[in-house]
Order: sequence, then structure tokens, then C-alpha cells
Amino acid sequence: MNPSEENQPITEPVATQSVEYAAEAPVTGKGRLEAAWGSTEGDEDLSVSTPTTPKTDGQIFKQQYKTWNGELNPRWMRNWAILRHHLLGVFKKGHRPWGVAIRLYLLVVFIASMSDVGMTLVSGVIGDSGLHSVWGVSRDNLYGHVLGFFPRNMLYYPVVAALLVGGVISEDRQHGTSALYFSRPITRFDYVAMKFTSVAMIQGLLILVTLALYYFAEILTMGRGWAWIIDTFPMFLATVFSAILLIFTYTSIGLALSSVSKGKFFPGIALLAIILGTKVLAFIVSNLFDREILYLISPYDCLAHVGQAIIGTQPTYDQYSWTWSLASLAAMNGLALYVLSTRVSSMEVTRE
Amino acid sequence: MVKDDFIIKTTNLTKSYGPHVALNKLNLSVPHGATGLLGPNGAGKSTFLKTILGLIQTTEGEGTVLGLDIRTQGDQIRSRIGYMPEYDSLNPDMEAIHQVRYSGELLGMNPTIALSRAHEALQYVGLGEQRYRTIGSYSTGMKQATKLACALIHDPELIIADEPSNGLDITARNYMIETLTNTVLTGNRSVLMASHLMDDVERVCDNFILLHKGKLAAQGRIEDLKAFDREIEIHVWGGASRLEEAMIAQGLGVRREGRVMRILHEQEDTTSIIMRCAADVGAQIRRMHEYEASLEDLFLSIMENLGYDVKSSEDLLASPVQARKVDAPEHMGGGSA
Repeated sequence: MNPSEENQPITEPVATQSVEYAAEAPVTGKGRLEAAWGSTEGDEDLSVSTPTTPKTDGQIFKQQYKTWNGELNPRWMRNWAILRHHLLGVFKKGHRPWGVAIRLYLLVVFIASMSDVGMTLVSGVIGDSGLHSVWGVSRDNLYGHVLGFFPRNMLYYPVVAALLVGGVISEDRQHGTSALYFSRPITRFDYVAMKFTSVAMIQGLLILVTLALYYFAEILTMGRGWAWIIDTFPMFLATVFSAILLIFTYTSIGLALSSVSKGKFFPGIALLAIILGTKVLAFIVSNLFDREILYLISPYDCLAHVGQAIIGTQPTYDQYSWTWSLASLAAMNGLALYVLSTRVSSMEVTRE
Repeated sequence: MVKDDFIIKTTNLTKSYGPHVALNKLNLSVPHGATGLLGPNGAGKSTFLKTILGLIQTTEGEGTVLGLDIRTQGDQIRSRIGYMPEYDSLNPDMEAIHQVRYSGELLGMNPTIALSRAHEALQYVGLGEQRYRTIGSYSTGMKQATKLACALIHDPELIIADEPSNGLDITARNYMIETLTNTVLTGNRSVLMASHLMDDVERVCDNFILLHKGKLAAQGRIEDLKAFDREIEIHVWGGASRLEEAMIAQGLGVRREGRVMRILHEQEDTTSIIMRCAADVGAQIRRMHEYEASLEDLFLSIMENLGYDVKSSEDLLASPVQARKVDAPEHMGGGSA
């Protein structure tokens, strides 16, 4: 339907006048119907209502330009709009449509990421020290919450990152919505920064919030005091830092892939291939040739190595210093951000 | 605030991509109201639009849009204009009302105000009852209307519409043209409309700019340009060649195709001269009427004259014979005829 079709003028009910049925008056279908089935008694004066000159004036729709004299808010409000658009889209309509499957998966991962929270609560409630020693807060469990390969880094977090970054920038190329951003006073930096932050915040909700809940569940259920908190808080902070590093790395690689694509599938699958593929490759080489050096090309291995070093768990990458992994992560992120910035700079307003 | 006479002004505006010169010393003055931006593919229209949006840096020269410097005040320019892109720029999974609201938020509008204005803008472009439908379910005309609503949400002083009637059927196209015209006439806003459809430009715009190979080929009021090339068309029966010779002998400019002739209407008594010539040579004039070339005719004529051999518009304007066909009168900034 065209915009104009709905706006056709609707004529008002027309005025009527009585017309005598003279002998020579034409017999219309309406007159016959009224005579046969009319609701009156049949004593009327044989007149019928016929329209006089139809009125064409008066219509429901009138195109009227309305002015607006409001003030436009500054840069921070525009950036907040981008952030809000992406974040609120996960929870409600009217913002970025994330798709039901993605939202369901996020819910599943959120619940699954709370497994250690639940088990800590259970161990505290039933007072089972054995269960608590397996699930309670410790260096290994904090590390596992963020960097455990199975299931979190094999099934949860990379898949979440892949689903989130899949269309965030590529859809702007695909649908041409980049023009909507860049024909407004939005800078390329703000555009990328807000998209990056929104994707990172959704991951943060799943990783960092559940990590914090896990830590507080331990305090609540086990009645931990200040001494325990002071003792374990650096460990918790180190885990938070590892999680931030993981979120940043997955997001930057993912968005770089999204910026070179026009679809959702390629960025998502390529991110999974990079994270899981390089991990598997490094694992195979390590087992076959007893050389661990290849883990430096694996984002997950580098994150795990740095995480082990700063959280203080037993290192599993012991041939090289963890600073190599940190340098490798810096290089990976640098490259990803370079690709991202270059590609976003080339996004057009007039055509893609 | 003193209102500037021109909404867009450029001086020697040049933009090069390496050795390729996309805009070559462009000197433009676009007045308030509706202006058509014309030119064949590769003429530099897109580069010009990006330049005045402040999205790309100029290589040389300067310019202002609404009094703001295109080199340093791009953000402010984009806050005060509404841009309607040629291509799809809408998320098909979003409802139109939220898409338009979001476009307002991206300008810095408060979400509540943006929603309120989105309702008004969609009502204005004729999508009032369809605003809660997803854009993916819209027809091309409705998508174009939504893009226009996105551009109008903050009531900009200047609307840049890039091919606004692209791909529309006649009804939707008419509606779009009426809406743009209404925006100019009742909304008192300015429109810069890039289009290949001369008829649309003619209906909406008072002024035009014609770019060719990055240079300004012609500029001025459409009315003046058309008046400049006004002719009288006659259909002759018998003695057409004699009549043609007689009219040429009287100093009239005659173009002939069979029995149809077009005579330049340069003087008040042209009609009388034609009639007298016809009487003298015994030719019958079966039909006589004022012939006003459409903008499309003029555009084709200009393009034909510019051709690919002409390197610049100066080459064209150097020839008085050809200049008559392409440029606005001298007082409008055109070359001398």
C-alpha cells in the first residue's frame, strides 16, 4: 500500500433530500428493497432519500508540516542513544532487534554461568564441605568461571561473542544503516566505541555479573568475614581483569570480522574458527611435537596463560613466560582494532 | 540572527582522490528554497553531497552550509540538515516508529521527544496508520517515506534528498513530490534534491545546479533557463521549404524536422513575422504554439553539447552558439549568449 492510499480524502455523509415517487420516477433497486424489506409500516409518503450534490471538502488526513524548536543534546546523549539502542534491544522491543534465538541463548548461558553460584548456595545451605570444596570460591574455580575451556570457553562465551558481533557492524553495511549514523553528528570513533561497549557490556553481564554473584554467594552462604574478603579480593580482582581481557579480545576480533563483512554468518563463524581452531591447532602441535609455541596464535591460550599467571593457579603453559602471551594478546587486539578502524572509516553515507 | 541569502556557498571547492579530480574548482551559491542537483553518473554529485555534509576533507577551496564552515563544522552542519539517502538505510526488522525515533536520538534528541516527533513526522509523510509495522513489510514508497521522516524528525533547515523518488510507482512518486513541495512551501524549509528524474526536479525545484565531470556546467533558475530557450512550434502544410527560407531571410532562427519547425522566440513580433512569411510564400500553418522545452530536453541538450570531447564547461561556454543552449542568463551567473 502506498503512503498516499491511506490518505484518500473521506467524504462526509452527504446531505439528503426527499424526492416524491411520481409515476414516471425510475424504480431503483433501493426503492424496491425498501418496499419489500423496509422496517417501516408502509405508510410513508413514497419518498426516498437521495443524495444531493456530494460534498468533497473535508478530509481526515491533512498534510501539515509541524515545526520543532527544541534543543539537541550534546555528544554524550548521542552516544548514550547508540549504547541504549543495542543494550535494551536484548530485553525489549523498540530497540535493536536481536532475534529470539540469540536472546534465548543469552538466557541459557546466563543460567548456565550461574551453575557455580547455585552449587555454592546449595553447599552452604546443606552444609556439605565436600560439595563446597568442589564448587566454592578458590583460585581454580575463579579461573574456571572465566577461562575454563570446557564448557565456558568451548560452548558459552565464544559462541555468545560470535552471536553478538555477527551483525553489529555488518548489518549496517548490509542494510545501509551506516548512512543513518554518519549523516548525523556521529563520529566514526563514537560509532565504534559505542558498538564495542554495548557488545562488551552484554558479555560483561554474562561473565562479570555471574562472577560477582558467585563471589557474593560464597560470602553470604558461608558467612565469610572481612579477613576472608581481604584475603581473596585480589584474586577476585585478578579474575575480573582476566574476564575484561577476554571480553575485550573476543569483542575486538569479532567486530573486526563484522566490519569486513555484509552478513551475520561470516563474522560469527570466523570468530569461532579463530578462537577454537587455533586452540585445537596449538593442542595438536603441542601433543605431536612437544612444542607449545603455537599457542601464541591462539587468543584463548594466550588469555588462559595470562589469566593463570595473574590469578595464581597452576600454569599449564610452562615453556614460555606469560608476558609472551600478553604481548601476543596486545598484537592481536592491535591488529583487530586497526582492521576495525580502517573498515569503519571506509563506510559510506552515499552508498555502500 | 541575520539570515544568509544562500544556504550553500562554495568557492573554488576542489576534491581530488589521487590523480582523479572529483570536484574541480566549484563555485556555487544555492539560495533558499528547492534546488535540483543534476548531473550524469560520475559528475561528482555524491562527492559534493559528502563534502557539504562535512564528511570528507576538501583538497582545496572552501564552502559554507547554513553559514557553517564545511571544513571545520561538519558536526554542526549535520545537526542542522536532514539527509535522505538514495539507498536503503533502514533496518528491516525494526518498526518504522522506532526507526524514526532512533534517528532522532542519534541527533541528540531526548528519547521521549524523539518518539513524539517520530509520530508527527510519520504522520506528515503519510505513514500515520502504518507506523507500527516492521519496515521489512513496507513497499518501496513507504520505505522512501520513512527515510524522509528520519530526515525531517528534527525539523532541519535544509533537507538533502538523494534520489527521493527512486524506484517509486506513479502514485507514490507523486506523493513524495507533493510532500517535498509542501515542505518547501508550507514548512518554509530548503531542499537540495539530487535526481535523475528531470520531471521531479522541475516539479519541486525552482533552481538547479548541473555538474559535469566535477565542474559546474550550469546553474540558475529553471524558469529562466527554460525561458531562455523558448521557441514557437509550427506545423506546416505545403511550401514548408519556401517558408523556412523566408523565415531565415527575415533573420529568424529555424530548426526544421519535416513539416514541423521550431522558431526561436526572441522578439515580440516573431509570431507576426512567421504569419507574414507564410502568407507571402503561400504556406499553410495548421498549428502554432509556444514550445517550452522540459528540463529533460535541456539536460539532454546540455549533455549532448558537453559531450565527452569537451574537457570542461569553459570549453562549452566559450562558444556563444552552444552557450545559448546550456547556460542561464548572464545576470543569473551564466555565460554571455
